[in-house]
Amino acid sequence: MKIEEKLSLLNYKTDRSYAHITIDPDICATCPDHFCVFACPANCYTLINGKLNFKYEDCVECGTCDIACSHGSVKWTLPKGDNGVIYKYG
Amino acid sequence: MSEFDVIVIGAGPAGSSAAIKLAQGGMNVLLVERGDPPGTKNVSGAVLWGDELSKVVPDWERSAPIERYVTRKEVAFLTEKSKIAISYSSQDLMERKSGKIIVRGKFDQWLARKAKDAGAMLVTGITIDKLVIDGGKVIGVMQDGDVITSDAVIVAEGANPRVLINSGLRPKLSDHDVALGIKETIKLPENVINERFNVDSKGGYASEFVLGFLDDGILSGGFLYTNRDTVSLGIVASLDRLRANGMTHSYDIMGKFEEHPFIKNLIKDGIPDEYAAHLVPEGGLASMPKLYGNGYLVTGDAAMFTFSNGMVLQGINYAITSGILAAETILENKGKISEETLSNYVNKLRNSYVLSDLYTFNGIQNVTWSDFTQKTMPKILDSVMMSMFDERGMPKKHLMQVLSAAVKSNGMKYTELISSGYRMMRKM
Ligand SMILES: Cc1cc2nc3c(=O)[nH]c(=O)nc-3n(C[C@H](O)[C@H](O)[C@H](O)COP(=O)(O)OP(=O)(O)OC[C@H]3O[C@@H](n4cnc5c(N)ncnc54)[C@H](O)[C@@H]3O)c2cc1C
Ligand code: SF4
Ligand code: SF4
Repeated sequence: MKIEEKLSLLNYKTDRSYAHITIDPDICATCPDHFCVFACPANCYTLINGKLNFKYEDCVECGTCDIACSHGSVKWTLPKGDNGVIYKYG
Repeated sequence: MSEFDVIVIGAGPAGSSAAIKLAQGGMNVLLVERGDPPGTKNVSGAVLWGDELSKVVPDWERSAPIERYVTRKEVAFLTEKSKIAISYSSQDLMERKSGKIIVRGKFDQWLARKAKDAGAMLVTGITIDKLVIDGGKVIGVMQDGDVITSDAVIVAEGANPRVLINSGLRPKLSDHDVALGIKETIKLPENVINERFNVDSKGGYASEFVLGFLDDGILSGGFLYTNRDTVSLGIVASLDRLRANGMTHSYDIMGKFEEHPFIKNLIKDGIPDEYAAHLVPEGGLASMPKLYGNGYLVTGDAAMFTFSNGMVLQGINYAITSGILAAETILENKGKISEETLSNYVNKLRNSYVLSDLYTFNGIQNVTWSDFTQKTMPKILDSVMMSMFDERGMPKKHLMQVLSAAVKSNGMKYTELISSGYRMMRKM
């Protein structure tokens, strides 16, 4: 089963007005390792034509990317209130 | 005058246990949880080991949502084409009911309700940003710009400790502090689980795996636990090895695990129902934040209280016990909360298994997360087993000769095997 299919099993309450994680595109543009792409279990970080693309909507709030990025690009906060992933089993 | 005697941040096992104890002691407690309902943000295997909860909920097993009791426990090495396992089935283990297999989504909701029943005020769907510190003393918490005051705060926010970080009370996490857990919940009919895992409908199978088949330096453990009509399958992978590897996606480690021939047949015809990921504290003492300060105490995963030796992964029991001990410390010092009075929390932890285990097993991660344990051992065991059971009509060799050949064929010296094995036995 592909990661996209696995992620589609999840339920979210998405906060359209607030991205709880943001990146600094200027820092990512010169990143030597793109480790966020490999570390994120929810495939939120992808490289499209060599350029880093980040989408917070599939994020499961694990916190891994904040550790993974050693270049100071990731600004990590929890979603506001009860937004974000809603696990049934967990 | 504070609004609450105590604010507890997080209604996981640590926070809810603390809130129950505090409420039972007559305290005015606010238990704040960002998940709505509690449990919807949390991920575990999960086997809850032991009976710590009975200290705050005496006959808890009667009402708790327990899926099954562990009656078959395995520890297995997986190489590319083999599985070498120690399987322990025991009637004593069955009677002792030490391992309760739970689903956190149901369990945490149940436990938080117990806190509410005990008299704590539970609010859900609220995310705390940081502690409010005034003149060196924690006087409450900040939520979306609002301050809620209390005489003391128990931090029970789990393995991604944003409140502590935002409050300047611990550094950001690094690769050595945590591992990455990824889990899938797979639907299988109850009777299929019973037959396939050779358990009755109350009994359960729990197995830890060493994923010796992974290439390129990746280190990861695996687990499989049977719920009533679902199976929990997951990995716990080392972040620094993933970083050193630099070309493997974390989710592909999970993919390889579920595709392994000996795992695939265990989940055959199962319907994947959920995918999840969460950090697991792995750093031991070296990763621990300061456990107390003027007006606050840190419990559970936020304090990095977990234990894993490759045979079990435990954190829920440590969370429950540390939560109860934090509550006790506050109850004993009502009206005189200070850094000094709260320091007794550490004594309590040291006198319990929580801190004694962390001290006893200090440095164990150097063994569990080593190439020797995760790569060499499985390969040697595989070679030994294969030589013993691959009957080719040749004269047989003594076990020592077989072992020695296996060690050599895996590029190791006998003396290395002995010293690594000795180190492993000592640490475990
Ligand atoms: C894949 C995996 C498998 C595991 N398997 C096992 C197992 O089989 N057995 C075992 O004993 N342990 C296991 N563990 C470890 C176990 O899950 C943890 O040790 C345990 O959950 C710790 O409990 P806690 O209460 O400290 O933290 P958590 O359970 O993480 O609870 C923290 C709570 O705080 C809430 N919260 C966090 N931040 C905020 C905030 N800012 N505001 C409001 N609320 C907040 C969260 O939503 C959550 O409800 C496993 C862990 C993982 C990831
Ligand atoms: S987020 Fe960090 S690791 Fe990822 S591309 Fe940007 S700088 Fe690199
Ligand atoms: S918090 Fe976890 S899931 Fe979310 S973007 Fe970061 S690594 Fe991915």
